[in-house]
Amino acid sequence: MRRVVLICSAGMSTSLLVTKIQEAADAQNYELSVEAFPIAKHMEAVEGADVVLLGPQIRYEMDKVKKATNAPVEAIEMTAYGMMDGNAVVTQIKGLLND
Amino acid sequence: MENTETIAFKIIASVGTARSMFVEAIRKAKEGKREEALQLIEEGNSVFLEGHKAHMELVTKEAKGEDFNLSLLLVHAEDQLMSAETIRIISEEIIELYDRVN
Repeated sequence: MRRVVLICSAGMSTSLLVTKIQEAADAQNYELSVEAFPIAKHMEAVEGADVVLLGPQIRYEMDKVKKATNAPVEAIEMTAYGMMDGNAVVTQIKGLLND
Repeated sequence: MENTETIAFKIIASVGTARSMFVEAIRKAKEGKREEALQLIEEGNSVFLEGHKAHMELVTKEAKGEDFNLSLLLVHAEDQLMSAETIRIISEEIIELYDRVN
């Protein structure tokens, strides 16, 4: 079971993406859990995460988040985020984890 | 014409990315990398424009008297757009400031 953490500023748009990612993963029988956190809680958020993804509006905090974890940290690609494309993000996750 | 939720996400993704680029530009300027900073501002501007175009779809909809759902998500998108624009304005000034300081 892969633990995926999404970090964003507000949580609104990211919350919907959480659902889309879960749906896409379930459809592929790829076991993962996804949770969204605001950037203010990033220290707590990264605990136990296998991979951390940042919303585009919080991308500039990449270094701060990388310092808090050994897990791979990457920004969610703008188009995938804009289209709420769960499949694209699952592909990104698999790539980062070599799954 | 796409539904307002889809447009809202497009806006948020574009202007959010632009916002990050503007902040990253300030950081480059802080490091004395003026050219990279200006490059990021330019990239940010072009990405912002995509969000602005999507926003225009909504403005047009309303102007035509078409009904659309004013949701919290849309309010959030609007907020992000204004925030990105404000940060762009400030970032341009700060880059000049770092230039003088460095």
